[in-house]
Amino acid sequence: MTHNDLNEADRDTRVIRELSRLPALSPSPGFGDRVMARVRLPQPKAVVLFRRARAWALEPRRAFALAAGYVVTAITTLGFAVPWLLAHSAAFRVAGNWFSTQILGGLREWALTLAGWAFSSDFMTRVASIGSGRLIAGAAVVTTVYAGCGLMLHRLLRAPRGTRAARVTL
Amino acid sequence: MAREGREAAYRELVRRYERPVFSLIYRMVRDRALAEDLAQDTFVKVMNALESYRPEFKFSSWIFKIANNVAIDQLRRRELDTLSLDGAPDARTQQEVEATALQAVDRAETPLAELEARELGSVIERAIAKLRPEYRACILLRHVEGRAYEEIAETLDLPLGTVKTYIHRARQELREYLEPMRD
Repeated sequence: MTHNDLNEADRDTRVIRELSRLPALSPSPGFGDRVMARVRLPQPKAVVLFRRARAWALEPRRAFALAAGYVVTAITTLGFAVPWLLAHSAAFRVAGNWFSTQILGGLREWALTLAGWAFSSDFMTRVASIGSGRLIAGAAVVTTVYAGCGLMLHRLLRAPRGTRAARVTL
Repeated sequence: MAREGREAAYRELVRRYERPVFSLIYRMVRDRALAEDLAQDTFVKVMNALESYRPEFKFSSWIFKIANNVAIDQLRRRELDTLSLDGAPDARTQQEVEATALQAVDRAETPLAELEARELGSVIERAIAKLRPEYRACILLRHVEGRAYEEIAETLDLPLGTVKTYIHRARQELREYLEPMRD
């Protein structure tokens, strides 16, 4: 290597050293906020559609027209429905009585059957024979299992954290 | 909740890359306010195009590619918009020359210009400013950001040989610019 080559290599090294010492320059404070103010975060499609529909419906003249249409429809429907109901009120009264008899009667039967079974069988005797310690332990186990299932369900239904951006290898 | 998670991820992305991206753009365009605007544009483009990012490429290469393109586009626009301080080239009479000549404002008077002078006023920074944009981008990515040749080639969409040539020529020019200062 000649003297000139060494000089050139030396100067090259100095240039590289000066370049590598250059500081990283920072933008002014609040840069991140200014960027985020310009970024539109993607929304689920259902939210986008709902917001569009709401914006469409809330436009003043359209909102007034929708409300007026609703009122007219309601009045018209009642205008037909009320006279018809009054004309057939006897039939509705009979049907209503029959339904309430069936439902209330059924509920009453079921409650009486359950109470009869509880008091006629040895169920109450068996419950009374279990010690209080065992009862409390059993209740604790059932509560823990129930709470555990609830927690598991919450974790399964929770929205995932982070996005593709967070999973990118930075 | 997913939206909050996404916003946090985006902010982290900006936090990690704001300094290298801004540094690159600032040294390319040499105007602080403009560099901030261009850096913001870069991040907005990155976030809007995240769905199209291909994971087989390095994320840093991709973000620097966008930053470099934004800076180069600005420099090209600036070249087209360049007006002569001495009047329009097709001005014939003295009156026309005076009417089309620009008055240069002394930028050193503004606080922003003072800051720019402080940040980019060193000998090496002024030498970098004299390089061609392609050389400037290569030398900054190589020796300031510490990127490998292959990564620079991927970032700038250039053959590896071209990147090495540009860096070699850039170093040569910098040596020539800096040599008179040392004597």
